[in-house]
Amino acid sequence: MCEAPAIPPSHPQVGLLFRVRARGLWNRICQTVSEAPLRLSASIILIAIIWAGIYVMFLLVFNQLRRSPLEATVALPLVFNVFFAAMLVLLAFSNAIIAYGALFRKDESAYLLSSPLMPLDVVTLKCVESLFVASWSLVLLGIPLMLALAKQVEHGVFYLLFIAFFIAFIPIPGALGLLMAWAAARFFPRRMIHIAAAVAAAIMAVLIVLGLRSLRIDEGATEIWLQSFQQRMGIVQSAFLPNNWVAAGIDRAMYGRFGDAGMYLCVTFINGLFLSWIAVMLVSRYFDGAYNRASSGGDASRRLAAQASGGLAGEIFWYLPLPLRLIAAKDLRTFLRDPLQWSQLVILFGLLALYLTNMPTIRQQFEGLGWFALIPFLNLCAISLILAAFTCRFVFPLVSLEGQKLWLIGLLPMRRGKLLHAKFAFAMTVTLLVALGSMLLAVVMLRIDLIWTAIHVTVAVAVCYGLCGFAVGIGARLPMFGELNAGRIANGLGGTTNLLASVALVTVVLIGVGIATWHSLYLPQGEPPAALDIAICAVAAIVSVAAGTIALIVGARHLNRVEV
Amino acid sequence: MSNPVNEPAIILSTISKSYGSKEAVVDLSLDIPRGELFAFLGPNGAGKTTTIKMIVGLLQPNSGYVRVCGHAIGLDGLAAKAQMAYVPDQPFLYDKLTGREFLYFVAEMYGLTTERRDAMLDKLIAQLDMSEFLDQLTENYSHGMKQRVVLASALLHHPAVLVIDEPMVGLDPRTIRVVKDLFVDLVGNGGTIFMSTHILEIAEAVADRIGIIHEGRLITVGSLEQLRAQAQREHSLEEIFLRLTEVNDV
Repeated sequence: MCEAPAIPPSHPQVGLLFRVRARGLWNRICQTVSEAPLRLSASIILIAIIWAGIYVMFLLVFNQLRRSPLEATVALPLVFNVFFAAMLVLLAFSNAIIAYGALFRKDESAYLLSSPLMPLDVVTLKCVESLFVASWSLVLLGIPLMLALAKQVEHGVFYLLFIAFFIAFIPIPGALGLLMAWAAARFFPRRMIHIAAAVAAAIMAVLIVLGLRSLRIDEGATEIWLQSFQQRMGIVQSAFLPNNWVAAGIDRAMYGRFGDAGMYLCVTFINGLFLSWIAVMLVSRYFDGAYNRASSGGDASRRLAAQASGGLAGEIFWYLPLPLRLIAAKDLRTFLRDPLQWSQLVILFGLLALYLTNMPTIRQQFEGLGWFALIPFLNLCAISLILAAFTCRFVFPLVSLEGQKLWLIGLLPMRRGKLLHAKFAFAMTVTLLVALGSMLLAVVMLRIDLIWTAIHVTVAVAVCYGLCGFAVGIGARLPMFGELNAGRIANGLGGTTNLLASVALVTVVLIGVGIATWHSLYLPQGEPPAALDIAICAVAAIVSVAAGTIALIVGARHLNRVEV
Repeated sequence: MSNPVNEPAIILSTISKSYGSKEAVVDLSLDIPRGELFAFLGPNGAGKTTTIKMIVGLLQPNSGYVRVCGHAIGLDGLAAKAQMAYVPDQPFLYDKLTGREFLYFVAEMYGLTTERRDAMLDKLIAQLDMSEFLDQLTENYSHGMKQRVVLASALLHHPAVLVIDEPMVGLDPRTIRVVKDLFVDLVGNGGTIFMSTHILEIAEAVADRIGIIHEGRLITVGSLEQLRAQAQREHSLEEIFLRLTEVNDV
């Protein structure tokens, strides 16, 4: 019976794997169009708004640079150099994290490895997939950047060349990320990965902060600043670094030297392909061993992490009654043990912290234009939008995920609606910690006036309350109890409703605070805003709290009577 | 080295596997001849799934070796996998494919011609009663539906060796009966099945030989009659299993 197989075992199947991926993507698009047109439309509109915002921002930056030709001539290539150097590092880490999960953690890897497929096919598929998932944000950022630049230089062909530079560049960090993922699986025991990733991310963040802080503009000493800037940037200007090839190519293209630009494009493209080839061949050659190692490590660090997070979770909700404290502590433990959740929050607020620590530099540009009101308002916008994204993705599914355990919670001596108190307490604790931490950083870095500090902290707390109330309340009113996948719950009807409601709430609050900020732009520093403006901010905060409370009440009533 | 055509379908030679400091499988040796349905029993955490993962090449033993159809898994894994099918305890399907699209994918992966694929598929759809849901996305399937599609995908290319972890979980009694008939049919045609299960009645009903693993060690192997003799009683497999694993605990 052990007869010859129908195909030679070495037959390459990578084309088949990509066709299956394409089929799945097509089915997903058809499903979204037919089942969630509202969500699709909202996503397209939001992306268009983000693109337009980034485009306007870059346009302003380039217009500002054009006013100082000397700085523009010298600084622009350096800016691109630094930009692509930062992208190189960030994308390499991003690719490493995604490739590690795709190669060593997904059930699909086990399935493909047990099938008669060459490791080369599996690694190629996962490499391209990770590259796509990790790099789309660069494209999202890059297209408006390209358009803003093209408007400055007015070379039609530049559009195409710029896209080509992006496409030629991204395989390089992709290949580095793939090698990092393989090395982590091969040489680090299981669960040590999280610790290693966290330490690497922390070191990265510190280096970036220190690097950017060293770039502060020294007003009134342009030539000295330029010399200093060039010296400090020497490290990223090595002829062997790909960011330098891309920056040099873009620089040549901007001045119409397309022959030179084409040469740099070829250098980038060929090196990207070569590095990718080396990475894929090396990883596929030793893939089995790395997979075995990643699946066979010990669990000592897991036990340690469980004890630490368990202790913290038990203490932090001391103010809740015991049954609710247990549920909130359980949610916090789940949060702390799930790198997908905390890492996204850390990354988003890490970027915000990075921006805040560099605020003193930006502040100089706004002198005389009410920066003491404007910059805290921009902080509030950023924090509110990040919190909305977090609550929609991670807080909203919490009630639905309890669906299969409601029989157990139903045995607790309390009404089911009380469950929302625990969910709300957990969400408020996490969001308040990060929101207030960011606000505190802004206050310290910018030395914001007490009155504006009070206004923005009050509004930030109210926004946290409103968003958490929406996520928990709408989550209970429109739950998906049968679903175990949090991503799918967040993408369903209830998730879409919550997303739209959260965006609407944030918009209303920010319009209120924005009006007060606008009225105060030309006030002397230290002078408090008008009573009417303070009242507008107070109304915005009250609206947020009231909306969150109503959502919680509606959700609790529904949960009390729903049959699961 | 023996002639691959004559050697047993599966050979496990003194394999051991540990996770950190925990020994999951210790010096396990076992030969499964061609045309045999072997049932692998053991309490939770005994080492059944680890053993199965070593057979299909997902894990590498710390020591010892595995051969399937004359091919060493560590050296010539592709040749072995081309003649093998694996059904894990948690069935894997692509969420955004229909069951039919998934089965077409598997057929193409194993190099089946369109005619052979369609013929086998028609037969399996009828046997496993999949016609009503096969064209829906698999994300909407119940566990039992998924299990049926995964079983069909495993049998589609008529494997020489079927390795299956907890095959009956989530299936209704009617489908369990159909699956048992499919297994008997496969073994009757010279195929070999290595099956881990907790359902002792199924092992009792269809297995040619039964192995019991406990705390990573194979504590007994033989036909049901041999196990009864070893347990010195004329009782059911359940009582033999409890007695053997209990004695070992003591």
